[in-house]
Amino acid sequence: MHEGAIAESIVDILKQVKEENKLNRIVKVRLKIGKMSGVMVDALLFALEALRTEEDVVESTEFEVTETDVKARCNLCNRVYEYTDISDIVMLCEQCGMPLDIIEGKEMKIIDVEGE
Amino acid sequence: MKRVIIEKKILERNDESAKKIREILKNRGVFALNFMASPGAGKTTIIEKTIEALKDNYRISYIDGDLDTDRDASRIKKLGIDVVQINTSGACHLDADMVLRALEQVSLDCDILIIENVGNLVCPATFDVGANKNVVILSVPEGDDKVKKYPVMFNVADVVLLNKIDLLKFLNFDVERVKKELKEINPDADFIEVSAKEGYGLDRWFEYVRNLIENSSLL
Ligand SMILES: Nc1nc2c(ncn2[C@@H]2O[C@H](COP(=O)(O)OP(=O)(O)OP(=O)(O)O)[C@@H](O)[C@H]2O)c(=O)[nH]1
Ligand SMILES: [Mg+2]
Ligand SMILES: [Zn+2]
Repeated sequence: MHEGAIAESIVDILKQVKEENKLNRIVKVRLKIGKMSGVMVDALLFALEALRTEEDVVESTEFEVTETDVKARCNLCNRVYEYTDISDIVMLCEQCGMPLDIIEGKEMKIIDVEGE
Repeated sequence: MKRVIIEKKILERNDESAKKIREILKNRGVFALNFMASPGAGKTTIIEKTIEALKDNYRISYIDGDLDTDRDASRIKKLGIDVVQINTSGACHLDADMVLRALEQVSLDCDILIIENVGNLVCPATFDVGANKNVVILSVPEGDDKVKKYPVMFNVADVVLLNKIDLLKFLNFDVERVKKELKEINPDADFIEVSAKEGYGLDRWFEYVRNLIENSSLL
């Protein structure tokens, strides 16, 4: 369950954001997690929940997660393929037979933070 | 209420450490391989055979990320190789900071650094450990449906070794299915069938490693 390590990284970043912006409390955090990032959203939320009691910075923080589909592009014909289920992924262009580049769906990001 | 837009990568710190590792290795002329697979797929066995085959021509060091035992580390030590054991204290994966700390202890007077990651087909895939190539091992007893079940791992592989093919005759395992699904999830990955136990295919693998190193422009 590496989501625990991911949750700890999030908390570390939030501590820094809180200090730099002189916030008393972090109210809400928006996260973007790609389906090919290897992180399960439910497990991540569970891990964040478990950290609430240990880490004051996230004591009453609401986490909102957007899960992004996988988008892969053919660099020859520029066609973009989109996959909602990662076990369906085919990383070859139907037209050109070229390997595709993943342009979205591997990311793991904090988008923004609301505090007071 | 104040809104702070940060657009920050959650694993930024890990990625920075991985970058540092790549710089250190590059400066020292070391080529690093990160071995990932399920528990028992044959990582240590393949690493042992690789060291035996290459140690007369290349200097090799080994970092072991095994869970809390030093069994694998002592197997490799017997081959006269410099070994560092990472204490993962139960973690399900290695991260770049762990490897960075291990680099302070392991001999970098070497040509090849072998990293044996924690036995797990999920967690290690998410963490860049600064290696030059990812070697993913799948073994026949695990079943021929694993590529699409663990797409993230097979997508980050540079080369996939199908190990224990001596067991094909006992099991219903469709090698073509694995090849087809790997082509779909990762068209650039190389694929080599081996039996670490009986030796089949190992020469091809050793040759592959030699080519990687000779072409890495590090030496
Ligand atoms: N039949 C057969 N057995 C093999 C082969 N390669 C390895 N084994 C056996 O598989 C078992 C596990 O091998 P290891 O090399 O320890 O596997 P590992 O991936 O390093 O395991 P962990 O580090 O514990 O995750 C051992 O009993 C090996 O002898 C092979 O090609 N064929
Ligand atoms: Mg092992
Ligand atoms: Zn195309």
